[in-house]
Formats: sequence, C-alpha cells, structure tokens
Amino acid sequence: MKLIAKKDVAAVVGTWSKTYSVLSPCMHASGDCVFDSFDAETFTLEYRKPPMPPKSSFLPQNETMFSVENGTFTPVIHHEKTLLFGIRACDLMGILQARSFYSRDMDDVYHRSHAEDTLIVVHACSWPQNETCFCTTVHSGPYAHEGFDIQLFDMGTDFLAEAGSDAGRAMIATEPFRDFDVEDAAERLSRVKHMAHNSIPIVSEVAEAMDILKGTGTNEGVWEHLGRKCITCGGCVYVCPTCTCFNVVDRVTADASGERMRTWDTCLYAGFTREASGHNPRSSQASRLRRRHEHKLLHYSQTDNRGALCGCVGCGRCSDYCPVHIGTLEVVKAIAEHIY
Amino acid sequence: MAGLAAAFGSGAMTNSINEFDDADLFFIIGSNTTAQHPLIGSRIINAVERGSKLILFDPREIPLAQFATLHLRQNFGTDVALLNGIMNIIIQEDLHDRLYVEGRTEGFEELKKLVGRYTPKVVEQITGIRSSELYRAAVMYAQADKAMIIYAMGITQHVTGTDNVKTLANLAMLTGHVGRPSTGVNPLRGQNNVQGACDMGGLPGVFTGYQRVGDPAAVKKFEDAWSVSGLNTKGGLTITGMMEAAHKGTLKAMYIMGENPLVSDPDITHVEQALSNLDFLVVQDIFLSDTAALADVVLPAASFAEKEGTYSNTERRVQLARAAVPPPGQARSDWEIIAGLCSRLGLAADYRGPADIMKEINALTPSYGGITYSRLSAGHGLQWPCPNVDHPGTVFLHREQFTKGKGSFLPCEFKPAAETPDDEYDFTLTTGRIYFQYHTGTMTRRIDLLEREAPEPLVEINPEDAKKLGIRSNDLVELESRRGSIQLKAEVTPRVPKRVLFTTFHFREAPVNRLTNSAFDPVAEIPELKGCSVKIRRCS
Ligand code: SF4
Ligand code: SF4
Ligand code: SF4
Repeated sequence: MKLIAKKDVAAVVGTWSKTYSVLSPCMHASGDCVFDSFDAETFTLEYRKPPMPPKSSFLPQNETMFSVENGTFTPVIHHEKTLLFGIRACDLMGILQARSFYSRDMDDVYHRSHAEDTLIVVHACSWPQNETCFCTTVHSGPYAHEGFDIQLFDMGTDFLAEAGSDAGRAMIATEPFRDFDVEDAAERLSRVKHMAHNSIPIVSEVAEAMDILKGTGTNEGVWEHLGRKCITCGGCVYVCPTCTCFNVVDRVTADASGERMRTWDTCLYAGFTREASGHNPRSSQASRLRRRHEHKLLHYSQTDNRGALCGCVGCGRCSDYCPVHIGTLEVVKAIAEHIY
Repeated sequence: MAGLAAAFGSGAMTNSINEFDDADLFFIIGSNTTAQHPLIGSRIINAVERGSKLILFDPREIPLAQFATLHLRQNFGTDVALLNGIMNIIIQEDLHDRLYVEGRTEGFEELKKLVGRYTPKVVEQITGIRSSELYRAAVMYAQADKAMIIYAMGITQHVTGTDNVKTLANLAMLTGHVGRPSTGVNPLRGQNNVQGACDMGGLPGVFTGYQRVGDPAAVKKFEDAWSVSGLNTKGGLTITGMMEAAHKGTLKAMYIMGENPLVSDPDITHVEQALSNLDFLVVQDIFLSDTAALADVVLPAASFAEKEGTYSNTERRVQLARAAVPPPGQARSDWEIIAGLCSRLGLAADYRGPADIMKEINALTPSYGGITYSRLSAGHGLQWPCPNVDHPGTVFLHREQFTKGKGSFLPCEFKPAAETPDDEYDFTLTTGRIYFQYHTGTMTRRIDLLEREAPEPLVEINPEDAKKLGIRSNDLVELESRRGSIQLKAEVTPRVPKRVLFTTFHFREAPVNRLTNSAFDPVAEIPELKGCSVKIRRCS
C-alpha cells in the first residue's frame, strides 16, 4: 500500500494528463462541479457526486459505428488512452455491470475498445455524498472490490492508494507516492472502510420491493400514479450508470455516403417499443415506467450484477434529478409501503 | 406584453420559477405547461402533490387536467367573458382585496361597472361554463393566500390577445395577487431568449429596455452613444404589418433572422405572395429553412453551442453561455454578422466580442445596468431589473408599488373571435404544440429520436364528431378553411371537445398555417393562430 499527500495529487494527475486524456473533477467559477478534461486551474478534490456518471466514456451520447463513402464501408472504432480520475465506487460498479452486459451475449467492439483504453482511479467515499446515496444497500460501495487500477482512501492529509492492476501498481510505484509501512496499515484501512460503510444508511425498502416484485407483483396503482406525473424527459435513464440502451440511426451526408451512429435512448419514450404496425406493447407511461424499474429490480441478469444486489447500483441520481421525484428510492418506497 | 405594460408598467413575468414551489393555487389559462414548459409543469405537479390547488381553463383535456382541482373547458375565444364573470362574482361576494385596490390601483369603479354586466347566466351562455363552477373558481382564486396566474400563447394568439392579458391583470389586482412571492401574472415565454429579444429592442417601437423611440431623451441618449443623428422616432412595423406592406409592394426588402414565416405565420399563401413580391430577401439561420430557400442571400449563423452570449429567459434571468465548439464552415455568430454588415454600411461597429456589447447594454439600458459579464460568470445569472453592480437582481416585480406607480384596471368587453363556425366551415380548428417537436421543426425534425417519437402531424377530433363523419384514427382527412386546405391523419380522442379540432404547426408537409387566419390583435398585432373555422372530411 502507498500514500500520497493530497497536496501532491493535482501535480500527479497533471503528469498523467500528458499520456492520457484525463477526465477529472473541475470546479467552475459558478460553483458547479463536473467531470471534464483535466485542467490545473479548476481541478478539485472537494467535490460531491457529479451529475453525470462516467458512462459516456464507454457509451458516448452519440457514436459513429461505421462510415460509408461512395458505397465503401469503414468501421470507425475510436481509440483514445483515457484515465478517469476520482470516480466513485457505485459508478465503477455501473461500468462493470455495463461491461458485462456488452460482452455477455455478443462482443460489443465499441464498448470493449473504450474499456481497453481506459484506466480508472476510484476515490472511495468516506461518507454519503448526499441523502440519496444507497450503495451499501445494493453492495456497490462506498469502496470498490475490483475493476479499478487505483483506489484512493481519504486518510486526512493523505490518500492511501491501493493498486488493483499492474498498470495501477506501476503508476503508484514512484514519487510522490511513498510506502505506507506502518505495522497496522491493514487495520487502519479496514477501520476507514468500516466507518465509511456505517455512515451510509441501508434502505430496507429496496430488498422489500424486490421481494414483492418477485412474489405477488405490485399493485398497478403504483405505476399508474407515477405514470401520470412522469413528464417523459428521459432524464432518469440518461443519468443512470447502468442504463445501456441505444438507438441506431443512419446519417446520410451525400449520395451513397454517410455514417451509422448510435445514440442514447430511453425506454420511457413510446417510440422505444412501438412496432411498425403502430401497435405498442408498452402503450402507457405507466407501463414504460414499470419496465424501467422492473429491469433494475426484477429482470436483471445475475451474471451482469458483478456482486451487486441488482441492476441498480444505488447512485441515487434518478432520485436527485427526476423533476417529479420518480427515482428508485421513491419507487421502492411506494412499492414496499403499498402507498397507492 | 403590451397588456401587462399598460396595466403594471412592465411587460414580463412578474414572479420567478422558484416561487412556483410555494404557491397555494395555480390559475392556468392558455398554457399546456407540461408539454411546453415541462420543468415548470413538473413544479406545478409537485406542488399539487403537496396540497396546492390547480384551476385549469382549457378546452382540451391537457395532461395537467389530471392534476386539476377544477378543470373548466370554456368555449373557444371566450376568455374575456369568463374572467369578467369571475371578477363579477368576486366583487358581488365582497371577496376582493379592498385595501389593495384602494392603496395600489386606479380605475376600480369603471371595472366594477363593466364586469357587473357579466352575470353568471350571461357568462354561461358565452363560455359554456356552468355558473356553479365559475363560482367555485372565483372563490378559490380570491381566497387563496398565494395564487399565481400562468398563461402562454393560448391567451395571446387571439384577436383579443391584449384584452385577455389586461383582463388577467385586472383579476390579479382585484384580489391583491401581485407584488408578493408566489403570486402575480406570469406569461411563460416560449423560446429561450424571446424575453431577451424583446428586452433588447426587438420590437418596432422601443430601444433596449423598452425605452420608447418616441421619447426624445432616449433618442438623444442613443444618438450620442452611437455618434449618429436623426434616429427614426416613429417606430417600425410589426411582422404582421411587414407582410402586409410586402404584399402591397410598399416594402421592398426584408432581413429575417432565425424565423421561418413560410411555415409559422398565419395564412401562408399570403406570406408566400408577400415574400415573392420583395425585391430582396436576406435570411439568417442555422439551417436552410423553407424561408431561407426563398432568399436572395442566406447568411449562415452559428447555433447556440457555437457562440458566446447571453440569453434572457422567461423569469427575466440573464444567463451567460459560452461556445462549446467552433461554428462549422462559414457560419458566424449573429453579432459578428450584424457588426460586419454595419461596418460595410459605414457604421463602425468595432466590438471585440459579446463582452464589449454587454458593456454597451449596461451603459444604455437602466434595467440591465448591473448585469455585467463578470457577475454573470460567477453565478447562475441575474434577474432584471438590476440597475447597478451592487443590486442583487429582482425576484418578483411590483413589490411596494407598480413599475408605473398605481396599477391600472383596464376593463375590456368580450368580443368574439374573428372567425366563428357557420354552416359551411362548421368546426373550430385550434393550433398548438407537442412535447417532442419545436416550432417549425427546422431543428427538432433533424433529431432522429424526436422524429421517431412524433413523426407526423395528427389532427385531434372528438369521438362523437368522428363517428358522425365516419372518421377513424389514422384515417387521412382533409381540413379546409377559407384560405386553403391540408391533408393529415386523424386521431380520434376525447381530449378535444365536440366541434373543436386540434393540430400543431410543426410539420411542413401539412402546414396548418395554410388554414389559419391572419386577423390580428389591434394592439400587439399578434395573429389569431389559436383558432379559425374549418370543415373536415375523410379522404377516400
Ligand atoms: S452511492 Fe456510495 S459510492 Fe456512490 S457516491 Fe454515494 S456514497 Fe459514494
Ligand atoms: S436506477 Fe437510479 S439509483 Fe439506480 S443506478 Fe440508475 S440512476 Fe442510480
Ligand atoms: S426523470 Fe422522472 S419525469 Fe423524467 S422520464 Fe424519468 S421518471 Fe419520467
């Protein structure tokens, strides 16, 4: 195990940014914090859960898959050595779940190439980032068990750095990283982990709602009530680290030329399931909301879970950003408490 | 805007978006809020879930109807009668705010006299709303502590648009619902910067900040600032006036920026004739719209993501946006195009960038005096009026007194719509917008996901009418007005009342403005896009 003084972190990340395209937390003058290309001026370690998960590093909002020029096809596979600095454990679990999904039944070469090009530095949480965090409930945080290159634990004026891969080990082998050679290193780390774990309350309704869905199913009234107020913005899907759906479209740029692209999609739009005849098996907003939440809580794949409880990694963003409060937290409460 | 300016002295949303969270009652008329201002709509839904009341006036069963404490479906174009009727009940029942009316307003006696004629029985005949329901609405609104009136184009796009707005202002003043948090008269503006365009003098009779071109002091100030003399003090033409003049041949050249009148304006056959009558047409846009295709010169403009500058939104909030990517090809920011034209015309417009222009705005526009670039960069915008750099901006207007001093009651009589159904054109066609498309679709129809959600125009028809006419959902139907005809598919739905049809103006393949009437409001010159008379038949 290694240590690094917090004050040295910006310089190290700056060095990495010479080799990698680094995405790291930036604090803007307006007070907004987002993950963006590393910039020494705005780099910060004082950040909360960023509004967007790192999903677009693996599944860009729009991505060209191949181009056609005068009838000749050329696959477009983007390569860029990338380093994600400071993502949270829940978001890493989101990446791992998506990675499993995109490689389980087929080899999604686009997703794979992004994954192969990307190094991940996790910043383990010492406490909940806000009141919607529920990683401990779904076993996705507050620290990661696998899948990272480096994981940083907050030890006051230092970070403890744990390597999760050979690349990570090499990166923390030299100055300003230094050995953490006290006798009780392991104990200290487990104390930090323990405190962090205990600081994030368990949301018992998640498991209860999952049981109800598996058993008798929920009262239709829940979905009808929520469906009435959903404004169909798609926001809950776009901010979700484990939502993996895309739509495929062709952009014709000239005769016999153009490109095929994929763009983020959401099952909350009617056109997502509308059939060519016009018939729609998910014809109401209620049924579409039900689909989304059942996908997370009922119809997830055990293989894709990667050790988490279900297909939701507890980041809480859908609860943070749904303008009418239809996040996973609200939904599981409504199901578990039989509110409607 | 003209209506609110006359009543209060300021033509903008009186209150702010955050204040929706604390309102006790929403009085919504002529706004399909969840479809057109979805984030404001979601605040209304949340507030209603927490116990706020919602009175909704709309002939259509819009999504908010499911949340309404009271949904009243008035006959088309009868808003003035409806609101006068409500005020009459409030005065009769002594529910008006006497102190407020005495202390802060003028013209109450005239109002009382006029609305006195709008008895519940008369109003029921005109609007189709039962007097018991009208009574409920009046009492609920008057008794609410914090009540917000919310409206949009459903109020303004009528020949009586200005009267509609004045009458809403009367109602708010009568009950003391202006000048406090979570109250007021709140027009929701459509585009992200339509408020800003008005603020910056994009209206025929004003300089920036609504300083009148007829005011000699304002003229002198601008002449000095621009080192020119002889600025026009008469004001120009509105869009409606320009089209008329072009049609007549008295207007020879037109320069259109970011508008697509060939799809968006009423009676487009007339617009086509007017535009082809011009000697010279310049269109500045981000895409080659139908109107741009007709132009002699097209000036490619940068889109929002490719330029820097400010937008002033519906709550008078000025916000700074920076370019995320450079403009493609020859496209340039609007300011660069205009400044370039100015220099070629011999007026030195040597701004170094938007920040320079903002300095000029700060110096010449009292309400924008303190809205500087450095302040905008350091936060999330500032709401005008903000007269100096120490001023925090204004969350709601008319706190102690109205901008113009005392608020004026401006009573209006009910006047019917320009076109009402007759034996031949026996349906009222009303137009609006849908969630997934924007305006004439020049932008949204290029976005595959949006196009998938709403790929084609539909006309809504009530099941009873449809049955009589043998029309089923997805049948192709023809709509015909005195001005033209279009074909599109039908959607049979109780969302529309009997004898009313609804469609949108997003789709150029069935341009509804072939049908609409260019009759307009005499003050604001906004056309009556919200209704015209048509007949409908199933295509064989
Ligand atoms: S859910 Fe857990 S891991 Fe994710 S940000 Fe919140 S505390 Fe951190
Ligand atoms: S469903 Fe909501 S809480 Fe769960 S991972 Fe997705 S955004 Fe986060
Ligand atoms: S964020 Fe909320 S309103 Fe938007 S689509 Fe999701 S559930 Fe609906």
